Amino acid sequence: MRKLGNWVILAVLMTSCGKKSEYPDAKVSYIVEAIETPPGLNAETGGIAFLPDGRLVACFLRGEVMIYNPETKAWKLFAEGLHEPLGVLPVTESEILVMQKPELTRLKDTDGDGQADVYETATDNFGMAGNYHEWTYGPVKDRDGNLFISFNTASEWGIIMDEVRGKLDTTLVPFTPKQKFAAVPYRGWVAKLTPSGEFIPYAYGFRSPSGLLITPDNELFVADNQGDWVGTSPLFKVEQNKFYGHPASMIWLPGWNKGDPSKLPVEGLNAERQRAVVQFPYGTMAASPTQPIYDVTDGAFGPFAGQILIGEMNQERIIRVMLEKVSGVWQGACIPFIDKHGLRKGNNRLAFSPDGSLYVGQVQHGYIGDTGIQRIVFTGKDPVDIHSMNITDEGFDLHFTQPMDEATLRDTSNYHFRHYYYEYHLKYGSDQFDVKKVGVKDIKVGDDGKTVKLKLENLKPGYIYELNMGEVRSEKGEVLENRLVCYTVNLLRSGRKGGKPSLAY
Amino acid sequence: MGYSQLSFAQGEEEIKRKIEIKAIGGLKFDLTRIKLKPGERIKLTLTNADDMDHNLVITKPGARQEVVDASYKLGENGPKQNYIPKSDKVLWSLRIVTPGQSAYIIFQAPMKEDVYPYVCTFPGHGLVMYGAMYVTTKDLPPLEKDPNVPPANALGSGTEHDHSAKDLHPYKTTPPYMYRIFMPDAGPAAIAVSLPNQLSYCWDAGSCRLRYAWQGEFLDPKNYFDKKAEKYANIMGTVFYRDKTTFPLKFSPEKNPVVDFKGYKLIDRYPEFHYTIDGRDVYELIKPKEDGSGLIRSFKVPEATRSLFFVFNDSDGVEYTSSKGTVNGNQINLTADDAHEFVIIMTKKETAK
Repeated sequence: MRKLGNWVILAVLMTSCGKKSEYPDAKVSYIVEAIETPPGLNAETGGIAFLPDGRLVACFLRGEVMIYNPETKAWKLFAEGLHEPLGVLPVTESEILVMQKPELTRLKDTDGDGQADVYETATDNFGMAGNYHEWTYGPVKDRDGNLFISFNTASEWGIIMDEVRGKLDTTLVPFTPKQKFAAVPYRGWVAKLTPSGEFIPYAYGFRSPSGLLITPDNELFVADNQGDWVGTSPLFKVEQNKFYGHPASMIWLPGWNKGDPSKLPVEGLNAERQRAVVQFPYGTMAASPTQPIYDVTDGAFGPFAGQILIGEMNQERIIRVMLEKVSGVWQGACIPFIDKHGLRKGNNRLAFSPDGSLYVGQVQHGYIGDTGIQRIVFTGKDPVDIHSMNITDEGFDLHFTQPMDEATLRDTSNYHFRHYYYEYHLKYGSDQFDVKKVGVKDIKVGDDGKTVKLKLENLKPGYIYELNMGEVRSEKGEVLENRLVCYTVNLLRSGRKGGKPSLAY
Repeated sequence: MGYSQLSFAQGEEEIKRKIEIKAIGGLKFDLTRIKLKPGERIKLTLTNADDMDHNLVITKPGARQEVVDASYKLGENGPKQNYIPKSDKVLWSLRIVTPGQSAYIIFQAPMKEDVYPYVCTFPGHGLVMYGAMYVTTKDLPPLEKDPNVPPANALGSGTEHDHSAKDLHPYKTTPPYMYRIFMPDAGPAAIAVSLPNQLSYCWDAGSCRLRYAWQGEFLDPKNYFDKKAEKYANIMGTVFYRDKTTFPLKFSPEKNPVVDFKGYKLIDRYPEFHYTIDGRDVYELIKPKEDGSGLIRSFKVPEATRSLFFVFNDSDGVEYTSSKGTVNGNQINLTADDAHEFVIIMTKKETAK
């Protein structure tokens, strides 16, 4: 069985890559390369994407949109003068959508000289209080051609200008206790723009929704950032008219007449709120997750096709998200993916190149981070990693990317489980509550050596189960690379929800 | 040594001196060095005026990097320990202070004269967010030559030596060119345009109108480009025109139109703005007068079927001539035909006289 397992992996690699590795003799699975940016560019990268012809388009926070040819390594200016652009979506080689602070803009090169000459407002149907924190994100496009964009809340440390754009509602000002606020329309919302140009406020309750994703199954995922009302950074599956926890945005619900929503009983807000499919434990996993991206490379980027990768600002890290449906609802685990390896901090934007490598654009913008663009290449060497983590009736199944050494897999001391939860409350961030070690009662190793079934002392909804692995080795003797994995238990297999800590984030 | 600020708290009356250090935006302490006398009793307050968590750890001389490295190694235990490693190199520490909060520590300065670093050991902050606690009776070295404080502009916006807009991009900025940027005396969706002949103007994409124009250099956007982009760009010239009407273009002299911004097209790099007033398309292209004495505004309202009024104010700093229509007080009356295409020239008043 073991032998057969190896052959299967090899076969998969050979067919799915379909091309020669750039690093055939590499001892590591992933190599991080630098992409040189042009002299004079402050490479604070707001957005990256690939044009249909395989060139990279990137926008930078001082307003430039530039196009990079990976073959010639030459950069060319496409547009300039934009206001903190934080997202880019090509339509064709000569038409590119850019999300800048005041609007979603359609850039068009109509005279064929390689530079945009028309800057058309696709939508500016949202307010600006002139607060630095009112960033805008997206767009992503769904199967039907709808675009989704999102609007940051304003910061209590920033200003409201004397003159604002859109209707001003100061219900939340002077917002005591201090918290992020939404003094103009649709701050803290995700909006949908239909192909005919209709602007639909779509979902609300976000604080700093800096990353949007449409999966191949046409589902919208949005990542938010830890802070007030956000105990730890979440990844949400977002559906129309639903509430995702930060109250500031509620004042822009049609007919809102309940005053300052942050003064409503927290229990009521909590009951209305959608839960994260995955929570990223603060500090240890991510302090500020950015853009989620779906691995559509079908193996060209390694064995994680169909999973979600997401950038992290504060650490030299990309995180991998392993989702599964439990009782028809997405939930799952997160694990560091590329951790250091020469990766910088500030991993703001991600895009898969047609060659299956992952480009990462970095930003700092007064926060912890960095500048520039890097490229992560899969060498073809299978990583020693946890491929997926599934909840069972009594614990978790771990699936590895390759057969593992049975003795180390069977060793109880290689599994350190703890559970804890973060709390849903106004105060910035959250402590970890009810932090307890969770013992492993039983370990069963699958016949192929790639699966281990762990039976735990307890398994409770509403908790994050954090697993720290010891020096588990592969059959070939290589050490498991990423050993911290955190599963957000919203639902048990049995469907039982009881026993949830009432305000667990 | 300990981690609780309380264990050092003694009667406040014994404290000779209070020092407040603020954690501020851009991963900085507002004070990058403080000076204590050997053995002096100090109440040190950390106030978090930033929008993320910070702590403060005072280390033994020369041990800043070692303590920062040790904080990284805390892994999943980081949050529980406030990212403060258990190390004999840590002298005193203040646990995580959340945004808007303060915490303090009371301690007696060491008797040994030396430089004791303080640093935020929150993950990722330690490399740039630190300062130096001098325990000494002597004068301190000049701040700009002090190796114990973070280099100026440690986050590296690259603009510290040049305050003009010239070297901020991977290309030369030659007028005409523009920025969408936060501008003073305008709405938040402002556009600043640099024209030849030492002229610049601010156009507002929120209210769809020219707001003001100035003579001199263009902008110093450093304030804005630095850090979180929360400041206005600075105008580097003298404003000679400021729109003082509620809206200059209208189909009815009494009523302000409903406006909607549609974007712009670059014509020889000059933006031609496109917007609607009461649903009718308007195109506006602004060029400099050749002698630099004012602006030439070319308007097109191709679908005008009614007369159009261009209103202005006596005290807005300029005099008006129009290629079409008739001047009537502070108003230029244009027929529907005139409105299809007309040019308004605005000349600085003192130049005109």
